[in-house]
Amino acid sequence: MKSKKLSEKILRSVKSKGFKYIDLPSVIEANHIVQRSGENFRKFIFSFNDQNGSELCLRPDLTIASCLRYLENNLKGKEKIFYSGQAYRKSQNKKDSIIRNQIGFEILGSKDEKNDDKEIINTSLKSLQNLKYSSGTLTIGNVEIFKLLISKLEIPARWKLRLLRHFWREDYFNDLLKRLETNADIDPTVVEVDKRIFLDLLKKDPSTVIAGRSIGEILKRFDTKMKDPRTASKGKKVSKIIRSFLKIKCPINNAAKELNKFFKKNKINLVVDQKYFPISANKVSKLNVMFSTSFGEQLEYYSGMVFKIDVKSNSKMVNCCAGGRYDGLISDLGSQKKIPAVGAAFNL
Amino acid sequence: MKDLIKIGIPSKGRLRKDVLNIFKKNKLKLISKRGDRDLFGSVKGKKNIQIIYLHAREIIERLADKSLDMGFSGLDLLKESEINIQKNIKVFKNYPYGKATLVVAIPNDFIDIFSMADLEEVAFEFKDKKKRRLRVATKYPNLTREFFYSKGVTQFSIVKSMGSTEISPFTGSSELITDITSTGSTLAANNLRIINDGYILKSELCMMVGKSSLKNKELQKLAKLLSTKY
Repeated sequence: MKSKKLSEKILRSVKSKGFKYIDLPSVIEANHIVQRSGENFRKFIFSFNDQNGSELCLRPDLTIASCLRYLENNLKGKEKIFYSGQAYRKSQNKKDSIIRNQIGFEILGSKDEKNDDKEIINTSLKSLQNLKYSSGTLTIGNVEIFKLLISKLEIPARWKLRLLRHFWREDYFNDLLKRLETNADIDPTVVEVDKRIFLDLLKKDPSTVIAGRSIGEILKRFDTKMKDPRTASKGKKVSKIIRSFLKIKCPINNAAKELNKFFKKNKINLVVDQKYFPISANKVSKLNVMFSTSFGEQLEYYSGMVFKIDVKSNSKMVNCCAGGRYDGLISDLGSQKKIPAVGAAFNL
Repeated sequence: MKDLIKIGIPSKGRLRKDVLNIFKKNKLKLISKRGDRDLFGSVKGKKNIQIIYLHAREIIERLADKSLDMGFSGLDLLKESEINIQKNIKVFKNYPYGKATLVVAIPNDFIDIFSMADLEEVAFEFKDKKKRRLRVATKYPNLTREFFYSKGVTQFSIVKSMGSTEISPFTGSSELITDITSTGSTLAANNLRIINDGYILKSELCMMVGKSSLKNKELQKLAKLLSTKY
């Protein structure tokens, strides 16, 4: 009963900020999710087939359902929406509930990105006033800064893409950094064996397809790999830069200063302005506001600003709200155009 | 009979021969009343044991649903099975037989792919260019999915294979495969090679016991006996 009252209060707060309530379907096509998140996502969704053989699943989160709605209804222009309901997800942790109650709000299709980021955070802060807590932290990060940093580093283009693709998977990302420090991409003994095949392939028609890939495609990638080798010493240097970047954590009003100090020290041609961040006060009501470069890892679809709010309630820290910008999500789900999107959700 | 111990033995192939050998070495004589094709059997002088000859995959499922008490099968098949099945089965003994490895194999001509990291990259490029995912043919979808993901390969789809997986890259049903191999000769004969770090699981013949049958004293005795000589 208590949580129902609380969620009603939060919904009222969100509504008062000019958001429009929408209903979302509970069941969505599984294909959308698997196409976006890959085969492994099957482990988390509850899926089943309908009489036509289409695979459907219970919505694993409300954001995906909402972005699908925007896409499928062919909506254009700015929408400020909110919704509430249950999301269903299997968890590897047996103690976790498979049902999660969420309240979410989003701004979709608007180009005024900086202001929208601020509005989402402000709406979260206003809704937070309905909760009883003694203290807490608002953590802000930005995946974009990481992307810019990678683009300036001295490593093969293939490695840049690889690091970007896996930033959100912390364990694997650390594996990548370790590999960057040590072994090279090319094993000379294997190359020797492959030379014979290489010479054979050169004689063939490059448009010939072998197991789904053309000879031209294979040779081209082989060639780039050979011409774009990476030395272990450079790899070590780059890995060190990335690791020390990911350690930056400070009060938000120091964020620009700390980052610029880091860029200068590592001779990276980048400068960040404090106005880049959606907030510059170190304290907002009872929350300490922190900036963290590593925050954003483990969150796959975020593309820019990310934030979370943890509050202390009954002497325990709990995460109650999280959100960020996900400009790539709607196009991943099938839109031809990139559609800006920013949002947040309260987990009750 | 109330205390009947039901034992599953693979009905075909190398594993069957190896298991029969283990029984022989421990002086347990297997009898089939209606000849070699009989799918029921017994052990001479042990009325409380029933032998059932089954497919190696099915032995694992029957252990989990308690219709078998003990079974012989490959570790690969156990690890591939659903989590609820694995939960109900204990591996009692590993034997040095039926050794084989589940590996990731690609066409020989894919000379630009050396490691799983290369495969990860190719999988992303493939999806970007061709708007579909790289397909992996396999009899082991669960182990394959898990392994690929741990190596950063997320952009792929699984094509379930029933047999002759080696030919599927050349018949247009997949781009690469994962399969179980002991010497690698079948892969080589079919123009495939193993990715440098593409080793998913080492498998061997195992004696498995249903967890609910573990308390049975007679079964414990038998399991220990069959673990002594092999």
